[in-house]
Amino acid sequence: MYFSDSIQDSVYAHYSPSYKYSIGIEKADDKFSNTQQTSFRFTYLLNRKNRKGSQRNLYAQAGISLNNSDSTFYGIHGDWETRRLFSGFGYKEVQNKSVQDYSDQYMQLGVAPYLGDYGDLHTWIMVKTKKNSLTRGWSTYPVLKFFSGNALIEFGYNDKTEWDLHVVYRF
Amino acid sequence: MNRILLVCLFISPFTWAEHNHVEDMSEHSHEGHLHETMVDGKNLDVNPERFDTFMEGLTGVNVAMVSVKGMVCDFCARGIEKTFSKDKSVMKIDVDLDSGKVMIAYPKTKEIDFDDIKKKILANGQNATELQILEA
Repeated sequence: MYFSDSIQDSVYAHYSPSYKYSIGIEKADDKFSNTQQTSFRFTYLLNRKNRKGSQRNLYAQAGISLNNSDSTFYGIHGDWETRRLFSGFGYKEVQNKSVQDYSDQYMQLGVAPYLGDYGDLHTWIMVKTKKNSLTRGWSTYPVLKFFSGNALIEFGYNDKTEWDLHVVYRF
Repeated sequence: MNRILLVCLFISPFTWAEHNHVEDMSEHSHEGHLHETMVDGKNLDVNPERFDTFMEGLTGVNVAMVSVKGMVCDFCARGIEKTFSKDKSVMKIDVDLDSGKVMIAYPKTKEIDFDDIKKKILANGQNATELQILEA
């Protein structure tokens, strides 16, 4: 998984022994502190509700830097989606004693303009609003998400935060 | 009298629609489709054209039609295909996101175990709720 926004660029590889949790390693370039961190990350599914036409998830996540044990993060994120609609949110608190603590939060709403069959190219048109305590203020911008097969790409742009890019490939 | 007329006018579109719906159902022929025998006697709850496409190239199989809750996303359903593909007795699999159904073709000699199917679906984070078996 590759992720890039105004705060950091990161590459994250994880393994899910079960659908309930995953463990992984994240390598991040922090654009604010000009530092590089390699972190161990753990994500746990707190709650999932499957319905015939929808799924709702709530996850907890935490991580610790392998370079500096003073640098940790924890957070929560969740989503609810149907074939047509998507909503999600997330909150992350980063404690980095050697540089600067910050928090990151977002909300995201989306709609699928068409309902593709299994194996088709799927498209989501979304709006995302996020706030990082380092940059202050909410930033709201459009996001496009595409996925097909095992690959997913999501990108958004606004003049305040510039590009958000999220690429996932499932092996 | 006016009331009776109004009631008739109000009801007539529904009556017409219902009448036509019944006619449409009776006129809909599955002749030519491959599904003939439901093991549990229930109606086939899957798109007939999709089923026929699935059955292309398959003979002498039992098809498990599994209703799955939470299967709303292609990306999230990938694991279902991957898990069943590892089962050597599985001849073919189809994921239908619209209906929330997974079709799995097994050889007739294989006993279909719903508990095993439930476990495999749950391993991907969804819930299998119902199984229908079709002999084809």
